[in-house]
Amino acid sequence: MRIRILGNLVILGATVVLSYGMQVSKPHYADLTAPIPADGAMHDTIRARSFDVRLDKVVFARALKTNQFGRQKLLTTSGLWAVVTTSLTATAASTTVADGTWQGPTGLRYHQTERLGYRQDMPPHGVDPGLEKRGLLVFEIPPDQIRGASLLIAARQFGPLDAQARISLDGLPTSADGQPADVLPEYDLDAPPPQGKS
Amino acid sequence: MSAVSTAPGPIASEDRQAEQKWRRRSLVALAILLPLTLAETSYDSLREWLHGEDLIARDVDFGQSVPFGGSDWKLADLRGGKAGRLPDHAFAVIATFSVKIGDPDLQKQWLGCKLMLTDAAGRRWLPDVIAGVSLPAGVMNCTSAIFSGVKKGDTVTIGDIFIVPEDAVKTIRPAVGLSSERPWFLRFQRPPK
Repeated sequence: MRIRILGNLVILGATVVLSYGMQVSKPHYADLTAPIPADGAMHDTIRARSFDVRLDKVVFARALKTNQFGRQKLLTTSGLWAVVTTSLTATAASTTVADGTWQGPTGLRYHQTERLGYRQDMPPHGVDPGLEKRGLLVFEIPPDQIRGASLLIAARQFGPLDAQARISLDGLPTSADGQPADVLPEYDLDAPPPQGKS
Repeated sequence: MSAVSTAPGPIASEDRQAEQKWRRRSLVALAILLPLTLAETSYDSLREWLHGEDLIARDVDFGQSVPFGGSDWKLADLRGGKAGRLPDHAFAVIATFSVKIGDPDLQKQWLGCKLMLTDAAGRRWLPDVIAGVSLPAGVMNCTSAIFSGVKKGDTVTIGDIFIVPEDAVKTIRPAVGLSSERPWFLRFQRPPK
């Protein structure tokens, strides 16, 4: 009889310990349903379920020149502007690619800028199968978030269990102090494509 | 003394047998009830998903008219070419349908109306805007047709503009999806050359 009580107590204790352990180590729901990364490097074509993306070019600038409702605007920043040019194609059906995030080396995340307002060449990018399209993403980032950064591109901002292209930006030329090797004083968003290197 | 101690024996074993029987029954019930609960809780989501996806194609021959969403749909024309400002290796395609209105409540019947092009590999293109290309006179797109106030018996021409890559242009087929008919959609045979 005593052995039985003791046995029950042991089982009860084990259950409590196990339950507590499971509760403590339980992943957050947002982590369980987080986007699934598809890794790649610059100039690689990365397949992210509904679209293919290739990172062609990253240009850094101290100011952005843009045309808003017929008026020239110069957008300045205390950090740096990163203008990212990508090539996008839909895989199976016409879709949109709307979300870009700059992830710094320590995991800090910078969402694409909303200071530009509506522009046709800014997200959401409408993409079609078999038709490569140039898609711009613009970020405002501190200069120390460039070395070891990666770029996250997804179809939607909150896409549980959807694919997310994760492009490593190790290929970017930086100087010894981590600053980008080449920074334009001004980037004109309305000028024809070839501006800046890399 | 011995009579008293043996008396509860058969009753206890009977109790245990009954308990075991109920335990087994409960286990069997669980095996039936659990899947049923799952099915019941996911039914609404599944139904909503099916009504949002064009999954099962109903093939329609060229020249044939098929009832779909309360009206009769027929492929009127499919033409492609180089026009307006297009990306490299791409064609502009205009697909038009001639539709005889049966049920004029289009706001209900044609909700989520989607014109598409599909190719042999199963890829799908949705309508696009091309600078310098517009629909021929008298052709409406789906959305404007819904609010055009058509009456029963009218025949309207529905169409849209697409951009399609060169490698797909030879096998594209126009298709139509409506919320009221999903997961089924109509896929039309191309007009003969």
